[in-house]
Amino acid sequence: MSANRTSFLVGREGIGGPYFLLTFLHPETAREARPGQFVMIKVGVSAEPPLRRPFSILEASPERETFTLFVKAIGPGSSALCALPVGGVAQCLGPLGRPFSPPPDGTEAALVGGGYGVAPFSFLGSELAHRGGAARLFYGGRTRAELPLLARLRAQGMEVVPATEDGSVGTPGRVTLPLEAHLDAAKHPQRLYACGPEAMLHAVARIAAARGLEAEVSLDPWMGCGVGTCLGCVVRVQGRDDARWTYRCACTEGPVFDAARVVWPGESESRARQAAGGRT
Amino acid sequence: MKLAVELAGIRLKNPLLAASGTFGYGVEYEGIIELATLGGIVSKGLYLEPRDGAPPPRIAETPSGLLNAIGLQGIGIHAFVKDVLPRLRAHDTALFVNVCGDTVEEYAEVARVCDGAPGIAGLEVNISCPNVKQGGMAFGGDPRMTHAVVAAVRAATRLPVIPKLSPNVADITLFARAAEEAGADALSCINTLLGLAIDVETRRPKLGFGTGGLSGPAIRPVAVRMAWQAARAVRIPVIGIGGIASAQDALEFLIAGCHAVQIGTANFVDPGIYERVLAELGAYLERHGKSDIREVVGTLEYPGEASECKTGGTP
Repeated sequence: MSANRTSFLVGREGIGGPYFLLTFLHPETAREARPGQFVMIKVGVSAEPPLRRPFSILEASPERETFTLFVKAIGPGSSALCALPVGGVAQCLGPLGRPFSPPPDGTEAALVGGGYGVAPFSFLGSELAHRGGAARLFYGGRTRAELPLLARLRAQGMEVVPATEDGSVGTPGRVTLPLEAHLDAAKHPQRLYACGPEAMLHAVARIAAARGLEAEVSLDPWMGCGVGTCLGCVVRVQGRDDARWTYRCACTEGPVFDAARVVWPGESESRARQAAGGRT
Repeated sequence: MKLAVELAGIRLKNPLLAASGTFGYGVEYEGIIELATLGGIVSKGLYLEPRDGAPPPRIAETPSGLLNAIGLQGIGIHAFVKDVLPRLRAHDTALFVNVCGDTVEEYAEVARVCDGAPGIAGLEVNISCPNVKQGGMAFGGDPRMTHAVVAAVRAATRLPVIPKLSPNVADITLFARAAEEAGADALSCINTLLGLAIDVETRRPKLGFGTGGLSGPAIRPVAVRMAWQAARAVRIPVIGIGGIASAQDALEFLIAGCHAVQIGTANFVDPGIYERVLAELGAYLERHGKSDIREVVGTLEYPGEASECKTGGTP
């Protein structure tokens, strides 16, 4: 059960530029969080910024009763969080949402993280390692500076394949290049997990569909409440048995969805209208 | 400290209600907060049938505010009565259904369904949603239509009828009076303000529907003014709504003549707000030498008016 409480910041580490690792005391999230879940968090209850922000959980430590977030200070909500001194407090509700599901036995996991979308994969990677399964992370960004977790993820024992658009580290170009090369060469069945910019998620969904692979994507629309009351974060999701799509809350029925069921913005016009049978 | 109030014959343990559309059907917050802390819960808007709602994006932050076009996505009144109400009734708080309709007949039919369902304290009639193409604000933007909808709901139910008025009108008192004449037991003032936010990079509206309804602290002074105007215009009680995030904010509405208030957008900022605001209300009463929240209602000392001027109504 998720809990709403005032949480102390007990650890704050700048890891280059706008990136921070923030560790909060929150026993319920520490104990119950699963990889892919998130918290809704905000410093104080003032009117600015108006809403809490959702952040994927990077790590959880039941022993220390803490969880850690990987945050890029880009707007008022994330910047206020990154400016919080150790000992400061934030209002936090978590853990929330549907987590990633582990691959079946004998299937390897290929994780694809774009920019700060890599956040849930430290947690998922550790869990998969505990289960004894193989997991490989494809970690993409525009430049080396957008991959601030690279050394840390390698240090925790993950096999990480970086890619940067400027070629400053790893494969030059999009992260889907080394992913596809890996899938071409893979000897074992693969299952894809992706979190990052929408265009990257859509690309991973297409790759999975073309190869007949299963893929889970973590979507990141604006969220109001995090618990399914405001209905602000809905995404179009195809029903089972090819039924028409319906709006699903990313906060409660996601943020992790089966990539094959997501109706992506580019295809929403034709596929959505067809599936909806003209209803709006 | 006495925080209980009475409104349209309904006893509320305190004057704080959760506003429609910001608290789901209530059950989503089970286990996160103690629902019995609330004076009452107003459900998400309900039509006869389930609704898909508006295309995303559905929300956008604005300065101290939230612009939304959810478009009244909902499960429909039958699913609410069958699946949600029994669970919700386990909590000691007053339950209100927000009644929607595309037609006058649909409003009345939803009200009729509620009339036969045990555990509903009252009906809030949504004639002010800016985010649907039919119904909604169309009924709340014409006093004759307001009268027609309220009269039809009035005839369909024995439950207290509480129209929720739109701020997107020049003179809210015309609508307040029309609703009162049609048999309303109380008024909810106000719904969201019609707004438009534009993404300058794409030159498209930030919301999928186009325009949206503005809520949050940004609208509070407008809401207090309109609730105050409505409270002076009618004899039935008014429930104040608009940007309440603290006891101070709630007190503005009470002093302006409202008998209760609803908390909306602030539920997203902190679902634990009720406990905090109730504690602050108690502290305010103590500081002002009062023992009952009702002593505060309608005590506004407006410039140029005698302080005895009655701004509230008799419930």
